[in-house]
Amino acid sequence: MRRVAVIGVGVTKFGKHDRTSAELFAEAAADALADAELPASAVQALYYGNVVGGETEKQLHTGPQAASVLGIPTVPTTRFETACASSHAAFRHAVMDIASGTSEVVLVGGAERVLNVTTEESTEYFAYASDARWEQTLGLTFPGVFALVARAHMARYGTTEAQMAAVAVKNHKHGTLNPKAQFQKEITLEQVLKSAMVADPLKLYDCCPFTDGGAALVLVSEEVARKARRPIWVLASAAASDWMLISDKRDLSRVPATERAAAAAYRQAGLGPTDVDVVELHDCFTIAEIVATEGLGLFEPGAGGVAAEKGWTSLGGKIPVNPSGGLKAKGHPIGATGAAQIAEVVTQLRGAADRRQVDGAKIGLTHTLGGNTATVLVSLFGRD
Amino acid sequence: MTEPVITQRHFFEKAREGQLTAMRCGHCGELSVPPKTFCPTCSQRRWEPIGLSGEGTIASYTIIRVAPRAHAAEVPYAIAAVHMNEGVSLLGRVVDVPLERLTVGLPVRFRPLVSGGQTAVGFGPA
Repeated sequence: MRRVAVIGVGVTKFGKHDRTSAELFAEAAADALADAELPASAVQALYYGNVVGGETEKQLHTGPQAASVLGIPTVPTTRFETACASSHAAFRHAVMDIASGTSEVVLVGGAERVLNVTTEESTEYFAYASDARWEQTLGLTFPGVFALVARAHMARYGTTEAQMAAVAVKNHKHGTLNPKAQFQKEITLEQVLKSAMVADPLKLYDCCPFTDGGAALVLVSEEVARKARRPIWVLASAAASDWMLISDKRDLSRVPATERAAAAAYRQAGLGPTDVDVVELHDCFTIAEIVATEGLGLFEPGAGGVAAEKGWTSLGGKIPVNPSGGLKAKGHPIGATGAAQIAEVVTQLRGAADRRQVDGAKIGLTHTLGGNTATVLVSLFGRD
Repeated sequence: MTEPVITQRHFFEKAREGQLTAMRCGHCGELSVPPKTFCPTCSQRRWEPIGLSGEGTIASYTIIRVAPRAHAAEVPYAIAAVHMNEGVSLLGRVVDVPLERLTVGLPVRFRPLVSGGQTAVGFGPA
Protein backbone atom coordinates (compact mmCIF):
# COMPACT_ATOMS: atom_id res chain seq x y z
CA MET A 1 0.00 0.00 0.00
CA ARG A 2 1.26 3.50 -0.85
CA ARG A 3 1.61 6.30 1.68
CA VAL A 4 -0.99 9.06 1.48
CA ALA A 5 -0.64 12.73 2.47
CA VAL A 6 -2.95 15.69 2.96
CA ILE A 7 -1.46 18.69 1.14
CA GLY A 8 -4.40 21.09 1.06
CA VAL A 9 -7.19 22.07 3.47
CA GLY A 10 -10.10 24.49 3.23
CA VAL A 11 -12.96 25.29 5.58
CA THR A 12 -15.74 27.89 5.24
CA LYS A 13 -16.79 30.09 8.13
CA PHE A 14 -19.20 27.98 10.19
CA GLY A 15 -22.61 29.43 11.06
CA LYS A 16 -25.58 30.57 9.00
CA HIS A 17 -25.18 30.94 5.25
CA ASP A 18 -27.58 31.82 2.46
CA ARG A 19 -25.76 29.62 -0.07
CA THR A 20 -26.46 25.99 -1.02
CA SER A 21 -24.36 23.21 0.50
CA ALA A 22 -22.76 22.62 -2.92
CA GLU A 23 -21.69 26.27 -3.03
CA LEU A 24 -20.30 26.03 0.51
CA PHE A 25 -18.31 22.93 -0.44
CA ALA A 26 -17.02 24.65 -3.60
CA GLU A 27 -15.67 27.56 -1.52
CA ALA A 28 -13.85 25.16 0.81
CA ALA A 29 -12.57 23.07 -2.13
CA ALA A 30 -11.20 26.12 -3.95
CA ASP A 31 -9.34 27.11 -0.77
CA ALA A 32 -8.00 23.55 -0.35
CA LEU A 33 -6.75 23.42 -3.97
CA ALA A 34 -5.09 26.84 -3.60
CA ASP A 35 -3.47 25.60 -0.37
CA ALA A 36 -2.24 22.49 -2.23
CA GLU A 37 -1.03 24.65 -5.14
CA LEU A 38 -2.87 22.35 -7.57
CA PRO A 39 -5.34 23.26 -10.32
CA ALA A 40 -8.91 21.86 -10.20
CA SER A 41 -8.01 19.84 -13.32
CA ALA A 42 -5.58 17.76 -11.21
CA VAL A 43 -8.44 16.21 -9.19
CA GLN A 44 -9.13 12.57 -10.19
CA ALA A 45 -11.99 11.73 -7.83
CA LEU A 46 -14.33 13.36 -5.30
CA TYR A 47 -15.42 11.65 -2.08
CA TYR A 48 -18.20 13.72 -0.56
CA GLY A 49 -20.17 13.80 2.69
CA ASN A 50 -23.69 15.20 2.95
CA VAL A 51 -26.44 13.97 5.26
CA VAL A 52 -29.79 15.78 5.26
CA GLY A 53 -29.63 17.40 1.80
CA GLY A 54 -32.68 15.37 0.84
CA GLU A 55 -34.66 16.98 3.64
CA THR A 56 -33.35 20.54 4.03
CA GLU A 57 -32.53 21.27 0.39
CA LYS A 58 -34.75 18.68 -1.35
CA GLN A 59 -31.52 17.60 -2.99
CA LEU A 60 -30.18 14.11 -3.55
CA HIS A 61 -27.29 13.15 -5.84
CA THR A 62 -25.27 15.78 -3.98
CA GLY A 63 -21.88 14.30 -4.97
CA PRO A 64 -22.06 15.06 -8.70
CA GLN A 65 -23.90 18.29 -7.91
CA ALA A 66 -20.99 19.44 -5.74
CA ALA A 67 -18.50 18.40 -8.45
CA SER A 68 -20.49 20.30 -11.08
CA VAL A 69 -20.75 23.47 -8.99
CA LEU A 70 -17.00 23.27 -8.41
CA GLY A 71 -16.46 22.87 -12.17
CA ILE A 72 -15.02 19.33 -12.26
CA PRO A 73 -18.12 17.48 -13.53
CA THR A 74 -16.42 14.45 -15.07
CA VAL A 75 -14.48 12.99 -12.10
CA PRO A 76 -15.89 9.88 -10.40
CA THR A 77 -17.88 11.11 -7.42
CA THR A 78 -19.56 9.31 -4.53
CA ARG A 79 -21.61 10.74 -1.70
CA PHE A 80 -21.15 9.10 1.71
CA GLU A 81 -23.78 9.03 4.41
CA THR A 82 -22.81 7.68 7.82
CA ALA A 83 -24.75 10.38 9.70
CA CYS A 84 -22.37 12.85 11.40
CA ALA A 85 -19.28 10.82 10.40
CA SER A 86 -19.99 11.09 6.65
CA SER A 87 -16.97 13.06 5.45
CA HIS A 88 -14.62 11.08 7.71
CA ALA A 89 -15.96 7.90 6.03
CA ALA A 90 -15.39 9.64 2.67
CA PHE A 91 -11.83 10.42 3.78
CA ARG A 92 -11.09 6.80 4.70
CA HIS A 93 -12.24 5.60 1.29
CA ALA A 94 -10.20 8.29 -0.45
CA VAL A 95 -7.14 7.13 1.49
CA MET A 96 -7.75 3.55 0.29
CA ASP A 97 -8.24 4.83 -3.29
CA ILE A 98 -4.79 6.44 -3.30
CA ALA A 99 -3.09 3.76 -1.20
CA SER A 100 -4.27 1.10 -3.66
CA GLY A 101 -2.67 2.95 -6.57
CA THR A 102 -5.95 3.86 -8.26
CA SER A 103 -5.66 7.67 -7.99
CA GLU A 104 -2.89 10.23 -7.39
CA VAL A 105 -4.95 13.29 -6.40
CA VAL A 106 -8.33 13.04 -4.66
CA LEU A 107 -10.62 15.73 -3.29
CA VAL A 108 -12.45 14.87 -0.05
CA GLY A 109 -14.93 16.88 1.92
CA GLY A 110 -18.51 17.62 2.70
CA ALA A 111 -21.09 20.27 3.35
CA GLU A 112 -24.38 20.71 5.12
CA ARG A 113 -27.13 23.28 5.20
CA VAL A 114 -29.69 23.14 8.02
CA LEU A 115 -30.24 26.68 9.28
CA ASN A 116 -32.68 27.30 6.42
CA VAL A 117 -35.28 25.17 8.29
CA THR A 118 -36.77 25.43 11.81
CA THR A 119 -35.21 23.75 14.87
CA GLU A 120 -38.23 21.39 15.07
CA GLU A 121 -37.64 20.33 11.47
CA SER A 122 -33.88 19.84 11.82
CA THR A 123 -34.41 17.95 15.11
CA GLU A 124 -36.71 15.60 13.18
CA TYR A 125 -34.31 15.17 10.25
CA PHE A 126 -31.35 14.41 12.52
CA ALA A 127 -33.52 11.83 14.33
CA TYR A 128 -33.85 9.97 11.01
CA ALA A 129 -30.40 8.56 11.84
CA SER A 130 -32.00 6.55 14.66
CA ASP A 131 -34.27 3.56 13.94
CA ALA A 132 -37.57 4.57 12.36
CA ARG A 133 -39.78 1.89 13.93
CA TRP A 134 -38.15 1.25 17.30
CA GLU A 135 -36.83 4.71 18.24
CA GLN A 136 -38.26 7.55 16.15
CA THR A 137 -41.80 6.45 17.06
CA LEU A 138 -40.92 7.10 20.72
CA GLY A 139 -39.88 10.68 19.96
CA LEU A 140 -36.20 9.99 20.62
CA THR A 141 -33.92 12.89 19.63
CA PHE A 142 -30.14 13.10 19.30
CA PRO A 143 -29.77 15.04 22.52
CA GLY A 144 -31.96 12.23 23.92
CA VAL A 145 -29.53 9.54 22.76
CA PHE A 146 -26.60 11.25 24.46
CA ALA A 147 -28.70 12.05 27.52
CA LEU A 148 -29.11 8.26 27.90
CA VAL A 149 -25.33 7.92 27.63
CA ALA A 150 -24.88 10.71 30.18
CA ARG A 151 -27.27 9.19 32.75
CA ALA A 152 -25.57 5.80 32.40
CA HIS A 153 -22.11 7.40 32.79
CA MET A 154 -23.26 9.39 35.81
CA ALA A 155 -24.79 6.28 37.42
CA ARG A 156 -21.73 4.12 36.79
CA TYR A 157 -18.85 6.54 37.41
CA GLY A 158 -20.33 9.44 39.35
CA THR A 159 -19.72 11.88 36.50
CA THR A 160 -21.33 15.23 37.30
CA GLU A 161 -23.23 17.86 35.35
CA ALA A 162 -20.48 20.32 36.33
CA GLN A 163 -17.84 18.07 34.73
CA MET A 164 -19.88 17.98 31.52
CA ALA A 165 -20.28 21.76 31.70
CA ALA A 166 -16.49 22.09 31.98
CA VAL A 167 -16.21 20.60 28.48
CA ALA A 168 -18.52 23.32 27.11
CA VAL A 169 -16.61 26.10 28.91
CA LYS A 170 -13.27 24.77 27.59
CA ASN A 171 -14.43 24.36 23.98
CA HIS A 172 -16.05 27.80 23.93
CA LYS A 173 -12.76 29.25 25.21
CA HIS A 174 -10.89 27.45 22.41
CA GLY A 175 -13.53 28.73 19.95
CA THR A 176 -12.56 32.34 20.73
CA LEU A 177 -9.17 31.53 19.14
CA ASN A 178 -10.70 30.22 15.89
CA PRO A 179 -11.89 32.89 13.42
CA LYS A 180 -13.92 30.24 11.51
CA ALA A 181 -15.89 29.16 14.63
CA GLN A 182 -19.65 29.68 14.88
CA PHE A 183 -19.31 30.82 18.51
CA GLN A 184 -16.32 32.96 19.50
CA LYS A 185 -17.47 33.93 22.94
CA GLU A 186 -16.49 32.53 26.32
CA ILE A 187 -19.20 31.11 28.57
CA THR A 188 -19.18 30.37 32.31
CA LEU A 189 -19.87 27.14 34.18
CA GLU A 190 -22.91 28.79 35.73
CA GLN A 191 -24.30 29.78 32.31
CA VAL A 192 -24.06 26.15 31.16
CA LEU A 193 -25.66 24.76 34.31
CA LYS A 194 -28.48 27.30 34.22
CA SER A 195 -29.23 26.98 30.49
CA ALA A 196 -32.57 25.50 29.38
CA MET A 197 -32.98 21.72 29.65
CA VAL A 198 -33.07 20.05 26.21
CA ALA A 199 -33.00 16.35 27.16
CA ASP A 200 -32.41 15.81 30.87
CA PRO A 201 -29.54 15.97 32.01
CA LEU A 202 -28.29 17.74 28.87
CA LYS A 203 -28.88 21.47 28.74
CA LEU A 204 -28.69 23.87 25.81
CA TYR A 205 -24.98 24.61 26.38
CA ASP A 206 -24.18 20.88 26.58
CA CYS A 207 -25.30 20.63 22.93
CA CYS A 208 -23.49 21.64 19.76
CA PRO A 209 -25.43 24.03 17.51
CA PHE A 210 -27.05 23.47 14.14
CA THR A 211 -24.58 24.78 11.56
CA ASP A 212 -24.18 25.49 7.86
CA GLY A 213 -20.71 25.01 6.43
CA GLY A 214 -18.31 23.14 4.18
CA ALA A 215 -14.84 21.61 4.43
CA ALA A 216 -12.41 20.12 1.90
CA LEU A 217 -9.08 18.28 1.81
CA VAL A 218 -6.66 17.48 -1.00
CA LEU A 219 -5.19 13.99 -0.64
CA VAL A 220 -2.27 12.83 -2.75
CA SER A 221 0.11 9.90 -3.22
CA GLU A 222 3.61 10.04 -1.75
CA GLU A 223 5.06 10.79 -5.19
CA VAL A 224 2.92 13.93 -5.56
CA ALA A 225 3.36 14.84 -1.89
CA ARG A 226 7.15 14.98 -2.22
CA LYS A 227 6.70 18.05 -4.48
CA ALA A 228 4.35 19.74 -2.01
CA ARG A 229 5.43 22.42 0.45
CA ARG A 230 4.23 20.83 3.68
CA PRO A 231 2.66 17.37 3.42
CA ILE A 232 0.99 15.87 6.47
CA TRP A 233 1.01 12.08 6.36
CA VAL A 234 -1.98 9.84 6.99
CA LEU A 235 -0.64 7.29 9.48
CA ALA A 236 -3.93 5.40 9.91
CA SER A 237 -7.61 5.57 9.09
CA ALA A 238 -9.97 3.08 10.69
CA ALA A 239 -13.72 2.59 10.97
CA ALA A 240 -15.88 0.57 13.33
CA SER A 241 -19.59 0.05 13.78
CA ASP A 242 -21.89 -1.01 16.57
CA TRP A 243 -25.51 -2.03 17.05
CA MET A 244 -27.92 0.46 15.53
CA LEU A 245 -30.50 0.22 18.32
CA ILE A 246 -29.85 1.83 21.70
CA SER A 247 -31.51 -1.20 23.32
CA ASP A 248 -28.98 -3.60 21.76
CA LYS A 249 -26.02 -1.76 23.32
CA ARG A 250 -25.04 -3.60 26.48
CA ASP A 251 -23.43 -0.69 28.33
CA LEU A 252 -24.60 2.83 27.51
CA SER A 253 -21.74 4.42 29.48
CA ARG A 254 -19.30 3.38 26.74
CA VAL A 255 -19.02 3.67 22.95
CA PRO A 256 -17.50 0.35 21.84
CA ALA A 257 -17.17 1.55 18.21
CA THR A 258 -14.77 4.27 19.41
CA GLU A 259 -12.72 1.69 21.29
CA ARG A 260 -12.58 -0.64 18.27
CA ALA A 261 -11.78 2.09 15.71
CA ALA A 262 -9.09 3.55 18.00
CA ALA A 263 -7.48 0.12 18.55
CA ALA A 264 -7.41 -0.48 14.79
CA ALA A 265 -5.95 2.98 14.06
CA TYR A 266 -3.24 2.68 16.74
CA ARG A 267 -2.35 -0.77 15.37
CA GLN A 268 -2.13 0.52 11.76
CA ALA A 269 0.15 3.38 12.81
CA GLY A 270 2.18 1.43 15.37
CA LEU A 271 1.32 4.11 17.92
CA GLY A 272 -0.55 4.36 21.22
CA PRO A 273 -2.60 7.00 23.00
CA THR A 274 0.46 8.45 24.78
CA ASP A 275 2.07 9.28 21.40
CA VAL A 276 -0.75 11.68 20.47
CA ASP A 277 -0.10 15.43 20.85
CA VAL A 278 -3.37 16.94 19.64
CA VAL A 279 -6.92 15.57 19.27
CA GLU A 280 -10.00 16.75 17.40
CA LEU A 281 -12.88 14.57 18.57
CA HIS A 282 -16.63 14.38 18.23
CA ASP A 283 -18.12 16.55 21.00
CA CYS A 284 -21.65 16.76 19.60
CA PHE A 285 -22.62 16.84 23.29
CA THR A 286 -20.37 17.47 26.27
CA ILE A 287 -20.79 13.89 27.50
CA ALA A 288 -19.71 12.67 24.05
CA GLU A 289 -16.30 14.31 24.55
CA ILE A 290 -15.91 12.73 27.99
CA VAL A 291 -16.76 9.25 26.72
CA ALA A 292 -14.57 9.71 23.61
CA THR A 293 -11.48 10.69 25.63
CA GLU A 294 -11.96 7.41 27.52
CA GLY A 295 -12.66 5.31 24.41
CA LEU A 296 -9.56 6.69 22.66
CA GLY A 297 -7.46 5.59 25.64
CA LEU A 298 -6.46 9.14 26.64
CA PHE A 299 -7.97 8.51 30.09
CA GLU A 300 -9.25 5.48 31.99
CA PRO A 301 -12.97 4.65 31.74
CA GLY A 302 -14.73 6.98 34.18
CA ALA A 303 -11.88 9.50 34.33
CA GLY A 304 -12.97 11.65 31.37
CA GLY A 305 -15.11 13.96 33.48
CA VAL A 306 -12.32 14.57 35.99
CA ALA A 307 -9.88 15.25 33.11
CA ALA A 308 -12.16 17.94 31.69
CA GLU A 309 -12.72 19.51 35.10
CA LYS A 310 -8.98 19.65 35.90
CA GLY A 311 -8.13 21.26 32.56
CA TRP A 312 -6.05 18.30 31.29
CA THR A 313 -7.81 18.58 27.90
CA SER A 314 -7.45 22.37 27.57
CA LEU A 315 -4.84 24.11 25.40
CA GLY A 316 -1.70 23.94 27.54
CA GLY A 317 -3.01 20.84 29.34
CA LYS A 318 -1.72 17.23 29.28
CA ILE A 319 -3.45 16.42 25.99
CA PRO A 320 -5.25 19.31 24.28
CA VAL A 321 -8.65 18.20 22.93
CA ASN A 322 -10.58 20.22 20.35
CA PRO A 323 -8.31 23.29 20.07
CA SER A 324 -10.60 24.39 17.19
CA GLY A 325 -13.47 24.82 19.65
CA GLY A 326 -14.85 21.41 18.65
CA LEU A 327 -18.34 20.81 17.38
CA LYS A 328 -19.54 22.63 20.47
CA ALA A 329 -18.15 26.08 19.59
CA LYS A 330 -16.71 25.75 16.07
CA GLY A 331 -20.08 24.31 14.95
CA HIS A 332 -21.30 21.03 13.45
CA PRO A 333 -22.30 21.09 9.76
CA ILE A 334 -22.76 17.34 9.93
CA GLY A 335 -21.67 16.39 6.39
CA ALA A 336 -18.55 18.57 6.70
CA THR A 337 -17.50 17.80 10.27
CA GLY A 338 -15.07 14.91 9.72
CA ALA A 339 -13.17 16.80 7.01
CA ALA A 340 -13.15 19.98 9.13
CA GLN A 341 -11.62 18.06 12.06
CA ILE A 342 -8.90 16.72 9.77
CA ALA A 343 -8.28 20.24 8.40
CA GLU A 344 -7.70 21.43 11.98
CA VAL A 345 -5.26 18.63 12.82
CA VAL A 346 -3.35 19.20 9.56
CA THR A 347 -3.14 22.92 10.42
CA GLN A 348 -1.88 22.04 13.92
CA LEU A 349 0.78 19.65 12.59
CA ARG A 350 1.95 22.33 10.15
CA GLY A 351 2.42 24.62 13.14
CA ALA A 352 0.05 27.09 11.48
CA ALA A 353 -2.79 27.21 14.04
CA ASP A 354 -1.88 30.69 15.24
CA ARG A 355 -3.22 31.53 18.72
CA ARG A 356 -4.66 28.02 19.24
CA GLN A 357 -1.45 26.20 18.25
CA VAL A 358 -0.51 23.16 20.34
CA ASP A 359 3.22 23.70 20.80
CA GLY A 360 5.38 21.20 18.96
CA ALA A 361 2.51 18.92 17.90
CA LYS A 362 3.90 15.99 15.89
CA ILE A 363 1.09 13.39 16.00
CA GLY A 364 -2.59 14.27 15.67
CA LEU A 365 -5.78 12.23 15.98
CA THR A 366 -9.28 12.82 14.64
CA HIS A 367 -12.38 10.99 15.87
CA THR A 368 -15.81 11.30 14.31
CA LEU A 369 -18.96 9.60 15.53
CA GLY A 370 -22.03 8.92 13.43
CA GLY A 371 -25.57 9.00 14.75
CA ASN A 372 -26.52 6.84 17.72
CA THR A 373 -22.87 5.76 18.31
CA ALA A 374 -23.23 3.10 15.58
CA THR A 375 -20.46 4.55 13.36
CA VAL A 376 -17.02 5.76 14.44
CA LEU A 377 -13.94 6.70 12.43
CA VAL A 378 -10.51 7.39 13.88
CA SER A 379 -7.53 8.65 11.86
CA LEU A 380 -3.96 9.46 12.82
CA PHE A 381 -1.66 12.01 11.20
CA GLY A 382 2.03 12.86 11.38
CA ARG A 383 4.48 15.37 9.93
CA ASP A 384 7.90 14.81 8.35
CA MET B 1 -36.17 -19.18 1.46
CA THR B 2 -35.99 -19.44 5.23
CA GLU B 3 -38.92 -17.89 7.04
CA PRO B 4 -38.00 -15.56 9.90
CA VAL B 5 -39.04 -16.83 13.32
CA ILE B 6 -40.62 -13.52 14.16
CA THR B 7 -40.81 -10.30 12.14
CA GLN B 8 -40.94 -6.76 13.40
CA ARG B 9 -44.65 -6.72 12.50
CA HIS B 10 -45.32 -9.86 14.57
CA PHE B 11 -43.46 -8.31 17.52
CA PHE B 12 -45.63 -5.21 17.53
CA GLU B 13 -48.87 -7.19 16.93
CA LYS B 14 -48.12 -9.28 20.02
CA ALA B 15 -46.95 -6.19 21.91
CA ARG B 16 -50.29 -4.53 21.18
CA GLU B 17 -51.95 -7.45 22.98
CA GLY B 18 -49.65 -6.85 25.95
CA GLN B 19 -47.08 -9.59 25.27
CA LEU B 20 -43.39 -8.89 24.61
CA THR B 21 -41.63 -11.51 22.51
CA ALA B 22 -37.90 -12.17 22.38
CA MET B 23 -35.97 -14.90 20.60
CA ARG B 24 -33.71 -17.51 22.17
CA CYS B 25 -30.93 -19.09 20.12
CA GLY B 26 -31.46 -22.88 19.99
CA HIS B 27 -27.69 -23.32 19.59
CA CYS B 28 -26.01 -21.07 22.19
CA GLY B 29 -28.92 -19.81 24.29
CA GLU B 30 -28.41 -16.10 23.40
CA LEU B 31 -31.54 -14.06 24.08
CA SER B 32 -32.33 -11.27 21.64
CA VAL B 33 -34.95 -8.65 20.95
CA PRO B 34 -35.85 -7.21 18.48
CA PRO B 35 -35.64 -9.92 15.79
CA LYS B 36 -32.33 -10.46 13.98
CA THR B 37 -31.53 -12.89 11.20
CA PHE B 38 -28.39 -14.50 12.65
CA CYS B 39 -27.45 -14.99 16.29
CA PRO B 40 -24.84 -12.28 17.00
CA THR B 41 -22.99 -14.66 19.34
CA CYS B 42 -22.77 -17.93 17.35
CA SER B 43 -23.98 -16.87 13.85
CA GLN B 44 -26.50 -19.72 13.79
CA ARG B 45 -30.11 -19.32 12.71
CA ARG B 46 -32.00 -21.41 15.20
CA TRP B 47 -34.19 -18.83 16.90
CA GLU B 48 -37.17 -19.84 18.99
CA PRO B 49 -39.71 -17.25 20.14
CA ILE B 50 -39.95 -16.77 23.89
CA GLY B 51 -42.35 -14.57 25.84
CA LEU B 52 -40.96 -11.99 28.26
CA SER B 53 -42.48 -11.19 31.64
CA GLY B 54 -42.59 -7.45 30.85
CA GLU B 55 -40.81 -6.62 34.11
CA GLY B 56 -37.52 -4.75 34.25
CA THR B 57 -35.56 -1.86 35.71
CA ILE B 58 -34.48 1.48 34.22
CA ALA B 59 -30.85 1.30 33.01
CA SER B 60 -30.87 4.93 31.79
CA TYR B 61 -33.47 7.59 31.04
CA THR B 62 -33.98 11.08 29.69
CA ILE B 63 -36.74 13.65 29.68
CA ILE B 64 -37.18 15.12 26.21
CA ARG B 65 -38.02 18.83 26.26
CA VAL B 66 -37.13 19.75 22.67
CA ALA B 67 -38.92 17.26 20.43
CA PRO B 68 -39.06 16.42 16.73
CA ARG B 69 -41.99 18.03 14.89
CA ALA B 70 -44.26 14.98 15.18
CA HIS B 71 -43.92 14.88 18.98
CA ALA B 72 -43.69 18.60 19.72
CA ALA B 73 -47.10 18.73 21.43
CA GLU B 74 -46.15 15.90 23.83
CA VAL B 75 -43.22 17.50 25.71
CA PRO B 76 -42.00 16.91 28.33
CA TYR B 77 -41.89 13.12 27.97
CA ALA B 78 -39.60 10.43 29.36
CA ILE B 79 -37.73 7.75 27.39
CA ALA B 80 -35.87 4.96 29.18
CA ALA B 81 -33.59 2.08 28.30
CA VAL B 82 -35.05 -0.74 30.38
CA HIS B 83 -33.11 -3.82 31.37
CA MET B 84 -35.70 -6.61 31.28
CA ASN B 85 -35.54 -9.26 34.01
CA GLU B 86 -34.67 -11.93 31.41
CA GLY B 87 -31.47 -10.04 30.43
CA VAL B 88 -32.37 -8.19 27.21
CA SER B 89 -33.09 -4.45 26.99
CA LEU B 90 -35.81 -2.38 25.35
CA LEU B 91 -36.21 1.33 24.78
CA GLY B 92 -39.62 2.77 25.61
CA ARG B 93 -41.66 5.74 26.75
CA VAL B 94 -42.21 5.89 30.50
CA VAL B 95 -45.77 6.83 31.42
CA ASP B 96 -47.66 7.33 34.70
CA VAL B 97 -44.43 7.85 36.65
CA PRO B 98 -43.86 11.43 37.90
CA LEU B 99 -40.81 12.78 36.03
CA GLU B 100 -39.03 13.72 39.27
CA ARG B 101 -39.33 10.10 40.49
CA LEU B 102 -37.38 8.70 37.54
CA THR B 103 -34.08 7.13 38.54
CA VAL B 104 -31.65 4.49 37.32
CA GLY B 105 -32.69 1.18 38.88
CA LEU B 106 -36.42 2.01 39.14
CA PRO B 107 -38.56 -1.10 38.52
CA VAL B 108 -41.06 -0.69 35.66
CA ARG B 109 -43.52 -2.88 33.77
CA PHE B 110 -44.21 -3.03 30.02
CA ARG B 111 -47.38 -1.62 28.60
CA PRO B 112 -48.29 -1.12 24.94
CA LEU B 113 -48.79 2.45 23.78
CA VAL B 114 -51.19 2.53 20.85
CA SER B 115 -51.59 5.72 18.86
CA GLY B 116 -53.00 6.20 15.36
CA GLY B 117 -53.02 2.43 14.79
CA GLN B 118 -49.31 2.14 15.62
CA THR B 119 -47.99 0.37 18.72
CA ALA B 120 -44.92 1.57 20.59
CA VAL B 121 -43.11 0.15 23.63
CA GLY B 122 -44.13 1.81 26.87
CA PHE B 123 -43.37 1.28 30.54
CA GLY B 124 -45.45 2.13 33.58
CA PRO B 125 -45.01 1.62 37.34
CA ALA B 126 -44.07 -1.96 38.31
